[in-house]
Amino acid sequence: MSFLNSVTRPFAVAAVLAGALFGQGITPEMLLKPPADSWPAYHGDYSGRRHSPLTQINATNVGGLSLAWAFQTGAATQIKASPLVVDGVIYFSVPDVVYAVDARSGRQIWKYQYPANKGFHIGSRGVSMYKDWLFFVSPDAHLVCLNSKDGTVRWNVAIADANRGYWSTLSPLIVGNHVLVGVSGDFDNLTGFLKSIDPETGKTQWRWDSTPPAGTPGATTGGMTWMTGTYDPEAKLLYWGTGNPTPVLNGPARPGDNLHTGSIVALDPETGKMKWAFQPSPHDTHDWDAVEIPVLVDADFKGKPRKMLMQASRNGYFFVLDRLTGENLLTSTFGPVNWSLGVDKKGQPIPNPKKEPAPDGRIIAPDEAGLTNYRSPSFDPKTGLFIVSTHPSYAIYFNKPADGAFGWAGADYSVWGTGVLQAIDYQTGKAGWTHDLGPTGAGAGVLTTEGGVIFTGDAQGNVLALRTSDGKTLWHAGAGATMQSQPVTFMLDGRQHVVTGIGGVLYSWALPEKQ
Amino acid sequence: MSYSSVFLRLGCLALALVPAAPFVAAQADIPVPKSVAPAKQYSAAVLSAGQSAFLQNCAFCHGKDTGGGESGPDLTRSKLVADDVDGSKIGPVIRNGQGIMPKFAVAESELAALVAFIHDQKRIAESQTGGRKGVETADLKTGDVAKGKAYFNGAGTCSKCHSVTGDLAGIAKKYAGLQLMQRTLYPRGAKVKLTVTPATGEAITGDRVFQDEFTVALKDPTGRFRSFSTSKVKIKVDAPAEAHVELLPKYSDDDLHDLMTYLLSLQ
Repeated sequence: MSFLNSVTRPFAVAAVLAGALFGQGITPEMLLKPPADSWPAYHGDYSGRRHSPLTQINATNVGGLSLAWAFQTGAATQIKASPLVVDGVIYFSVPDVVYAVDARSGRQIWKYQYPANKGFHIGSRGVSMYKDWLFFVSPDAHLVCLNSKDGTVRWNVAIADANRGYWSTLSPLIVGNHVLVGVSGDFDNLTGFLKSIDPETGKTQWRWDSTPPAGTPGATTGGMTWMTGTYDPEAKLLYWGTGNPTPVLNGPARPGDNLHTGSIVALDPETGKMKWAFQPSPHDTHDWDAVEIPVLVDADFKGKPRKMLMQASRNGYFFVLDRLTGENLLTSTFGPVNWSLGVDKKGQPIPNPKKEPAPDGRIIAPDEAGLTNYRSPSFDPKTGLFIVSTHPSYAIYFNKPADGAFGWAGADYSVWGTGVLQAIDYQTGKAGWTHDLGPTGAGAGVLTTEGGVIFTGDAQGNVLALRTSDGKTLWHAGAGATMQSQPVTFMLDGRQHVVTGIGGVLYSWALPEKQ
Repeated sequence: MSYSSVFLRLGCLALALVPAAPFVAAQADIPVPKSVAPAKQYSAAVLSAGQSAFLQNCAFCHGKDTGGGESGPDLTRSKLVADDVDGSKIGPVIRNGQGIMPKFAVAESELAALVAFIHDQKRIAESQTGGRKGVETADLKTGDVAKGKAYFNGAGTCSKCHSVTGDLAGIAKKYAGLQLMQRTLYPRGAKVKLTVTPATGEAITGDRVFQDEFTVALKDPTGRFRSFSTSKVKIKVDAPAEAHVELLPKYSDDDLHDLMTYLLSLQ
C-alpha cells in the first residue's frame, strides 16, 4: 500500500523534510503517503505491514548501529506504545501519561498526566494524531483530545462505562474525519463495540457492536475490539479484529459460533456497516482473540494478483483472505495446535468440543498468550515473508460448574513456552526460516525495512537486528528488559533513526554521525 | 483478552505466589492454606483504597476479586497470602516482583491497603458455602490408577528417569493437586548444568545462571559467577528436565488424567 509508494530518493526526502519544518501536524495525505521523516500512525501506514522504505541502515552497515539517545520515563510501567513521529517530535504513552519528546535530543517537551482512576493499568499502546490534535485513550475508557503543542486538554469523552467493567488501551485509528476507538473488558459479560468519534467535537458518529446486548438469551457477550485495525483507502474498507467471547472459559454457557467474537470484520468507515466477516476462532474457549494485526498486502497469490489480508492469529492459525470479499485463500498452522478437528469449507478452524476447559483439565496448545499476540508482525515485500514473533506453548485449562457463567469462569495455567521468530511464506503458510528468541517467549513487535533488516527483541532483553533473507543476527544490544512494543523508524536531518520502547526507556538508535 | 505483560506472566505467577504449597479446597483431602493470623476488621476506607489499587495494578492477572484472572493464580488459595502478617510476605513480592511478576512501586499506605483488601477477600472466599471455584486435588483424580501406572512405566516413558520408590516416593505429600500436575508436565526452574570450554584453558562445569544467543553464565564449583561470550567457547548443556517438553505433544487428556490419578496416589 501507501508505504511502498513512499519516497525513497534523496531529493524527494528533502522535499518532504522542507514541508515538515512548518509543523502542520497530520493531514489525511500524510496518512495515505507517510513522509520519510515521520511515523504518523500506530502501524506507520494504513496497511499494518510495518515495513519501512528506508535504506540508510541496511544489512551491510547495521553492525555499526549505536545509541543516539535514551529517554527515561522514570515510570515503573513498561512501554507498550508504538511511538508517533511528527515534525521532529515523538509522542507516546504509558497508562495515564502522554509524553512529547524531541526526536533529535531525546529531551522531554511536555508531559500530560491523566487523573487517577480505577481502570486496569495494563498498558497503553500509543496516541494517534489528526491535524494538530492528539488522541489518547485512558484506562477508564475515555478518549482525550490533547493539543500536540503543549499537552493541554481540548476535550474528554467517555467511550464506555468503566464502572461496568470496560477499559481501553489501544491507539485509535484515524480515517478521514473519524477517530476509531475500541474497548476491552473480559472480567464482566459485556458487549464489544467499535466507535467512530468526530475528531473536532468528540461526538459519536457511529457504533458497531460485535455481539448482541448483554443479557440477550442464549447469546454470547465479548468480542472486544482492543487493537488498532487497518484500512484500505481504495476499497474504503476498515479491517478490525475482535476478541474472545465471555464467559471466557465456559463454552456451554454460550453455544454456537458466538458471532462476531474471535473474528476479522470489514466495515465501512463512514457508516460502520459490516461488509464481510471471517471467524478465525469460532466458539473460542481459550481466550484467543483474533485482534492480531490484519496485515494488508497487494501481491500475487498462486500466480494471480490479489488484494489480500493476512493474519497470524493468537489461536495458532495463519490466514490469507481476499480482503475485498473475505474469501479464504489459505489456512495453516504456524506451531503446535491441538484444539481443532480441522478446517471447514470456509477456511475456519473447527473447535474440538473435547478440548473445552473441564474440571480435571485439558492440555491445550497454544497457551492463553497464544502462538502470537497483539504485538505487530511485519510483511517484507521483497522476500514475500510474513515475519512474526511466535510462542510455541502448552497449557492446562479448567472449568467446572462452580466457576459460574460470568467473566473468566475457570482457570488456565501455562506449563511451558518458548519464543521463536518465524518467517512465513504467505503462499504456503510454511516457515522459510526461524530464529530462536529464548525461553518462555519474547513477544516484541517486528519492523522490516527496505534495507533488508528486521528489528525486534528476544526473550532476554536484547534488541536484535536480523537479516531479512535468512534471519541471521547482524547486531544486538542488551537493553535491560524485554521489548513489549514495536520498533519504528524515520529520517531526521538526513539520518535514519530506529526507536524502541523497552522497559520504561525509549531508545533511539542510529549509525554514528560523521564527525 | 488483551493481557499485558504477556506471555511471561503465565504460569510463572502461579509459582511466584503459590510456592511449594498446596492450593486445594476445604472439602478436599488437603485444606486451603489457613491464615496464620486471625481475620482482621479493616475500615471501609482502607478496603476501598485497597480495592482501587488492586483494580488498577493487580486485577488483570489475579481477577477483580483476587480469585484468579488472566493467568494469575487465585490469591485466596495462596500459601504466601496465608502466611502473610500485615504485608510481611505480600509486601516484598509486590515491591520486588517474583518470577515474571513485575515489581510495583507502591507507597506504604497503598501497600497496607492492598494487603488489607487481599486478606479480606480471602476471608470472604472462605466464608462461602457450596462448591468452590478453583482447581482442587479431588478434581484431578478422574483417571485410573492402574492405567496411570502402566503409562508411567510404558508409553509415558516416565520410568526412564523417575522411580516411585526413589525420587518420586511420597510425591503427592510434597506437591498437591494442580501444582503436581504443573510440575509433571514441565518442572519450571529445574537446574541446568553447563560445561563451558574456552579456546584455551580448562573446561568449567556449573549451574546455569542464564544463557542467551550472545552470553552464557554459570556458577562455578567455588560459587563464583562466570560469564562467557557464546562465540568464544564451546557449550555443553545438561538439562534432563527438558525431556518433559518432548512429551507435551504426546499426551492425550486421558493419559494425563490416568497419570495424575496414579501420581496423586503416591502418598
